[in-house]
Amino acid sequence: MQQRDNENRLSQEYTNSVLLNGTLQTPKWWPYLVSILGFFVVIGFVLFGIQIKYGLGVTGLNRPIYWGLYITTFVFWVGISHAGIMISAILRLTQAEWRRPVTRAAEILTIFSLATALVFPLIHAGRTWRIVYWLIPYDASRGIWPNIRSPLFMDPIAISTYLTGSTLFLFVALLPDLAVLRDRTTGFRKGFYTILALGWRGNPRQWKMQVVGGILLSALMLPIFVSVHSIVSWDFAVTTAVEGWHSTIFAPYFVIGAVHSGVSAVVTMMALMRWGWGWNEFIRPEHFDALARLLTVVATAWLGFTFLELLFALYGLDAPEIALREMQIFQYPWNMLFLTFLLTGYILPVPMWIFKRIRTNIALMFWSSILVNIGMWLERFLIIVPGLARRTPFVFTWEAYSPSWFEWYILFWSFCWVTLLMLIFSRVFPLVPLFEQKESEVFSDDIKIGRATVPTIFREEEE
Amino acid sequence: MKSLLGLYLDPNDAANAMDGLKEGGFEVGTFDVLTGTPYPEGAFGEHVPQHRLFRFPAFGAIIGFSLSLFLTTATQLAYPLITGGKPILSIFAMLIIMYEMTMLSAVIFSVIGIIFESRLPNIAPGVYDPRITEGYIGVVISVEDSDLNKAKKILEKSGSEEIKEA
Amino acid sequence: MSTNEEHFHWPPSDPKVVKEELISSTKRGGGFIKKSIWVLSLLSILGIVGLLGKLFLESNDQTQWGYIAAILAFILSTASGAPMVAVAPLIAKANWARPISRIAHIIGVVGIVNIIIMIPLLWVLPPLVVEGARRRSIWFEAPNYSPHFWDTLSLIMLAIVGVALLYSSALPDFATIRDNSSGTKKRIAGFLARGFVGSTVQWSTLRMRIGMMSTFYFFTLIFVHTLISIDLSLSMVPGWRDAIYPMAHAMGGIQGGIASVIIVAWIVRKYFGYENYITINQFWALGRLMFAASLMWIYFFYSAFIVFWYGRSMSDTAWLDLLIRGPMMYVFILGMLFSFIFPWWWLIWNKVRNSVNGPFYGAILAILGVFFERVRLYVPAWSVDPSLIHDKWLKVIPKTLFPDIWDILVLVGAVSSVFLIVMIVSRIVPFIGVWEIQQFNLLAKPVKYIKAHGVRVAKPD
Repeated sequence: MQQRDNENRLSQEYTNSVLLNGTLQTPKWWPYLVSILGFFVVIGFVLFGIQIKYGLGVTGLNRPIYWGLYITTFVFWVGISHAGIMISAILRLTQAEWRRPVTRAAEILTIFSLATALVFPLIHAGRTWRIVYWLIPYDASRGIWPNIRSPLFMDPIAISTYLTGSTLFLFVALLPDLAVLRDRTTGFRKGFYTILALGWRGNPRQWKMQVVGGILLSALMLPIFVSVHSIVSWDFAVTTAVEGWHSTIFAPYFVIGAVHSGVSAVVTMMALMRWGWGWNEFIRPEHFDALARLLTVVATAWLGFTFLELLFALYGLDAPEIALREMQIFQYPWNMLFLTFLLTGYILPVPMWIFKRIRTNIALMFWSSILVNIGMWLERFLIIVPGLARRTPFVFTWEAYSPSWFEWYILFWSFCWVTLLMLIFSRVFPLVPLFEQKESEVFSDDIKIGRATVPTIFREEEE
Repeated sequence: MKSLLGLYLDPNDAANAMDGLKEGGFEVGTFDVLTGTPYPEGAFGEHVPQHRLFRFPAFGAIIGFSLSLFLTTATQLAYPLITGGKPILSIFAMLIIMYEMTMLSAVIFSVIGIIFESRLPNIAPGVYDPRITEGYIGVVISVEDSDLNKAKKILEKSGSEEIKEA
Repeated sequence: MSTNEEHFHWPPSDPKVVKEELISSTKRGGGFIKKSIWVLSLLSILGIVGLLGKLFLESNDQTQWGYIAAILAFILSTASGAPMVAVAPLIAKANWARPISRIAHIIGVVGIVNIIIMIPLLWVLPPLVVEGARRRSIWFEAPNYSPHFWDTLSLIMLAIVGVALLYSSALPDFATIRDNSSGTKKRIAGFLARGFVGSTVQWSTLRMRIGMMSTFYFFTLIFVHTLISIDLSLSMVPGWRDAIYPMAHAMGGIQGGIASVIIVAWIVRKYFGYENYITINQFWALGRLMFAASLMWIYFFYSAFIVFWYGRSMSDTAWLDLLIRGPMMYVFILGMLFSFIFPWWWLIWNKVRNSVNGPFYGAILAILGVFFERVRLYVPAWSVDPSLIHDKWLKVIPKTLFPDIWDILVLVGAVSSVFLIVMIVSRIVPFIGVWEIQQFNLLAKPVKYIKAHGVRVAKPD
């Protein structure tokens, strides 16, 4: 097989054969992993059934903490979903070349994590079916309409907008790759891809639409991306009843935190893709390097917002708020969680990323990105639960909340579920966008400046 | 009417073939280039297609805005219950929903626009070769039977690997 | 390398021509520039007169000083924000910013204007402990005059870092001027160049220094915005608790910074005939940044607004009464129009962004917007009756305060002194970095790809 053509670049044939190795063939580990994950997922569904039968009593939720692990995990997955648009829209608009191998995986992560996030309010609601009454405006005989003034109503609107938009975005970007698959399969699969590829041929008009359309969709998705987590944050921030929630910084604070955790999740996934499918030539250490640099900036901005949030919590000098913060930061067991949150969210990973040796070390990047997400999950937990625990000074119980094993399992289930969906996706569609890869091979070249060889990129003349 | 497809390995040859066809008096628009990856616009001297993509999101946004204005107003007026001390028509809460629906509709219409402007779905794609997605560059031309040999010659002369006919 | 310069504007490829054309900006335009420097100096002195007048006549009434604080915030949010336009693309390794990064650095040296306006404010800014009770502030247990001290110090630091940033980036150009001029200029440039000859070590140190100074400037700027916004407006109003405010303030500062770079770049391009250096590409990219900044403005505004609007507590309502529908309602509407609606609706069109004049008009709109915004935030905050400062929320909304003659003098003086400083600095520092353009030419070249025209850009890591 011709790996590299005369200009030391990867040939398109080679790109196809390597990047489709998970789609046209089945990796050895794939059936085992899918079966194991499938088993855990099924148990999760069974537990959900049990919860519906016996009610929310199976969870640890009780006065005054009605929002616990489920809502924390909901916010967490919405946060993870900010990976996709951050990578594919922002980096596309800023013409960052290193985005190319990661865009597809990030978009898929967005879609599956959002879909998973949407499930959590359903689980959390207890009587899940009743959500229909709250959300869908239809002329029922009772004449009750959804209350659009409620942030809890805006939430699903924003998330489903984001989900629909991301799915369409993914589909448009998938078209050229579907044509590649159509050309390389037979039988039933060929029929499937032929229908999905819509008769793609690759003429200039279609490519131009890919490029222009990609930029247009990026520009449209970006404001949606920002709005989603902002609206999720307003679930908390617009209420005055809970000390520690009523803060104007919540919207951008949540968004930047979401980017922090989402991009870290992309790093985790990139490492897994390298190990699982052996795409070492496509997902290279320099991609990890670039992502880690981006993460350093994002994480530092996020830390600044965290600081401002705490500063203005104390600014008011209100006794209940100070008491709440004292509990959140200094009292056991919250202090342990807070310490872990700070350590894993910033103090451990970010100084590591200062060193190029670590930024280009895949295993270290993998573990540090996991640390970030532990920290970011704890961040949401520490915002939601202590706030509710000290909701009002005159509540008759200040009992701390301890999640039941039901809730822990559903949290575990969500990870299995997202991974399972990603793995199934990878058998049907390529996880690395083939045409983006090929485009970069066409547009990039090495030139010599003096004796140094410098990578260059061809940019079309701005119209 | 026949379709011809010449396959090229070297992009320069394909560009020469396009030039040859232009010089050979074939009408612009009857011939086109097929590639497995985007090339810089005009790299093959091809006809740069015009598009009206940007009208789609604008149109979508207007539809989404109107629809959401109607929905948010109507649901509030249909059940005029004061909650949270807010006015019945709470503009600042409505704005959020209107914003989301406007953007959603703009995205949906953009995607429709992208597919429409790509002239997809294409039920009869015509002459094609799977090697195009492998790096070969195809030059396609639809010609009258009388011009068939002339076109074939031009494609051959510019160094095509293979010529397909359909 | 086949060039196709006829296709679009591009810096000349001959380094000698580049050098001469760019250095000429420090020499050319004698009469007109001299006259302008005289006029601007006079106007700047008027500004000082305004400050002194205000200090002697109204220093016992802090409610009259809102406009002065607003002008300080305005200069901080426009001129001092300008270097950010050079910092962000430096991090993203964006080549397009090279021709305008020097302009951004030059505007950034006006930090001294902020300090001058701050001096009289020190007399009227209330201490932390008033009538034996400590007011709410970010200086929880700190000494009484902490805001006075730290705010001034941070402004001084910003001014120093701004000068240092310009100096680092202009160092190689001083060497070029030293080698290409005579007399006093040669001596000054020679002194400033500090023996720069362009050795490998010097270049790598220089790159590192610019990177460090840029980062440092960024952090200092955010820090200054945080301190000034909180100490000079937020903490003057009882019950105004708004965690996003410092960041929104800084965001407005970046919007104003982009706008001021666009305006100065437009003038420089026109006046010195630098059509081949500052091209449509720069305006196009800056136009996009401006567009993004206007969206960010509304985002930060709405993030705060919706929380107050939903909150309905006494302090939430007081915020709306003071800053939105209160004494400065019309200024608020103007700010909304000029900071968001006009620039947004203007720059949303690619045809407008992709032109030289389009982003320029957008920048003028946005800079007016920043001014209205600052007036809307600072004037009502200072108008609050000092005796109410210890309340839990603002119970008496102050009346609209109109600017007096001193305020107008200070505004005129502040804006003139910004232009004055830029003009004086430009006598020794070229408006477009010679070495930046030389590197631009090395790293990016107009080329043909088979038959397509475009640019090949190097991405060294």
